[in-house]
Amino acid sequence: MSLTVDKPVPEQPAGRAAAGTGRRRWRPSVGRSIVIVLVGLFGVWTLWPMYWMLSTALKSAKEATNLSPTVWPHTITGANFHELFGGTLPFSTYLVNSVLTSLIAAAVAVLISTLAGYSFSRGGYRLTSAASLVVLATQMLPLVVFIGPLYLLLLRAHLLNTYLGLIIGYTTFAIPFGAWMMKGFFDAIPREIEESARVDGYSRLGILFRVVVPLSVPGLVTTGVFVFMNSWNNLLYPLTLVSSNSRQTLPPGLLQSFSGTFKTDWGGMMAASLITSLPLVIAFFLVQRSMVRGLTAGALAGT
Amino acid sequence: MAAITLTGVEKRFGETRALRETDLEIDDHEFLVLVGPSGSGKTTLLRLVAGLETLTGGEIYFGDTRVTDVDVGDRDIAMVFQNYGLYPHMSVYRNMAFGLRRRGLGKQVIDLKVRQTADLLHIGHLLDRKPRQLSGGQRQRVALGRAIVRDPAVFLLDEPLSNLDAHLRVQMRAEILKVHRAVTATALYVTHDQVEAMTMGDRIAVMNEGVIHQLGTPDELYDRPADSFVAGFIGTPPMGFLTCERIREAGTEQLRAAGARFRLPPETVTALPPGASRLVIGVRPEHLRLVPPAEAEAAGCALQGVVEVVEPLGSEQHVLVAMGGSAITAKLPRDQRLNRDDKVAFTVSPDHLHVFDPESGRALR
Repeated sequence: MSLTVDKPVPEQPAGRAAAGTGRRRWRPSVGRSIVIVLVGLFGVWTLWPMYWMLSTALKSAKEATNLSPTVWPHTITGANFHELFGGTLPFSTYLVNSVLTSLIAAAVAVLISTLAGYSFSRGGYRLTSAASLVVLATQMLPLVVFIGPLYLLLLRAHLLNTYLGLIIGYTTFAIPFGAWMMKGFFDAIPREIEESARVDGYSRLGILFRVVVPLSVPGLVTTGVFVFMNSWNNLLYPLTLVSSNSRQTLPPGLLQSFSGTFKTDWGGMMAASLITSLPLVIAFFLVQRSMVRGLTAGALAGT
Repeated sequence: MAAITLTGVEKRFGETRALRETDLEIDDHEFLVLVGPSGSGKTTLLRLVAGLETLTGGEIYFGDTRVTDVDVGDRDIAMVFQNYGLYPHMSVYRNMAFGLRRRGLGKQVIDLKVRQTADLLHIGHLLDRKPRQLSGGQRQRVALGRAIVRDPAVFLLDEPLSNLDAHLRVQMRAEILKVHRAVTATALYVTHDQVEAMTMGDRIAVMNEGVIHQLGTPDELYDRPADSFVAGFIGTPPMGFLTCERIREAGTEQLRAAGARFRLPPETVTALPPGASRLVIGVRPEHLRLVPPAEAEAAGCALQGVVEVVEPLGSEQHVLVAMGGSAITAKLPRDQRLNRDDKVAFTVSPDHLHVFDPESGRALR
């Protein structure tokens, strides 16, 4: 090809037009002040339990159970944290079990949700819409409804008291939600992009993993974090499906360890709760942007 | 390189017939334009040739090879989409190399091809950018580059210029033609813009409601439209239509409309439906000649009407005139000053008259 074509006329790159407008000056007003006060109050309301958790975790056992409670610890102590990892409580085992089962459940759910969501979005088979509605319908039932049948199934499969049983339990409620969330993401990807890849010679699966999945990273992250959070926080399933202490996860582990009939170790419980909350708080801050996008994706489908 | 043959190709979406039984032959290296309004079936036809839709009936051949059931990726086609269809997460380089990688070409060969094509389209300096960092015109070039870098046998373009502004569109029209000459693939180009069709196509297929109304060169379509749809669709401003009374006087056949009488040549008379008392005539805007009203009355063969709108265009003016129950446009030199509500008269040479059957719309001459 020796021929060249005319030089293009320079153009403004897309999206530049809106740039250049100055920032608005902030002006105080009564309305704004009310909003700020309300937001502040809401913030205190929301954050107070977390602060109380941190404060109690750092208090001595005596101060934590004092009849006139202190807002901040008068003497800061790390004893509660020491006790968690060095004491008789198998806290590290619970932590490892929680991390392991939640991570694997998130990975499995993301993989299956991606395949199912893509099929719901692009399948075009006669049963696609019916199948996707049935999957959605499972979300309308409360979690507790599944526990009986799930217990019997896992019992017959000899999967009670195993990581695998627990992971299967977590994914039963995670995959339907994940599939619908991924469908929302896939719906937003223009078909022309996939058709380009078809013209370029790629198969359906090739297109899914080389083109569609890279474009749906916010969706994958959102689904993954959502499943991880739900599994991590789940009390009911491990409490029912796992009886051995060596397979137990954090929520039932903590419940059983700290709340006794005659005495509750508030300091230890708060220290354990703090460590339990940390991975979720960190994960949420890392992905909050894509998570918000993920939960609202598809809301404007067709526009 | 390949000629494309469609025999009896048909496509339904449920009860809707998007494309009725269609036969079409596109010559090797030809640039064929499919033009028509929205919903005319032109994009469906293109997508059938691409293999992105499955046929309801008929066969498609590339050269002598039957490709009806061949998967889109194995048809050796390249396609430029209306919204470009670029991969947003890949750089321009990777967008262009993506199809070549699938074919298992070596890294060096891919690099050479991508850079050569990028230079051809003046996008060599953009290779590291992502599509979102490009302007509309640059994206268009990348889409074009991605298509031609593969050196396909068939080059399909689906309204590729519709997202560009008027100035860029004119520029890209010329570029696409130059690129087509350079790659010599058989090209099928879909547009709803008849100016694009007229300026680019070796031949044009005019479509409406899933049917090809006429296939021909731009001149054939303009000078000898097969029916009133083609006549009205091709040409800017469009051809004006007037319903006429058919009268027989002193052994001759005449048409009467808006104060004018036209004698029909014998070959047209033989083509007329025997019982028809009314016919439709069509006049191109540039064939109307403004004459002073006095002269018009004396001549007795002038179309008379009242000016409704005057559109000055710099070099000329378009004048919309109400006459005989219709509105037709005249293209006039701008020194002929006219105002709204002016009474005007036009003569038109009988050679420039198009006559159509009012029922079927078929051209009778």
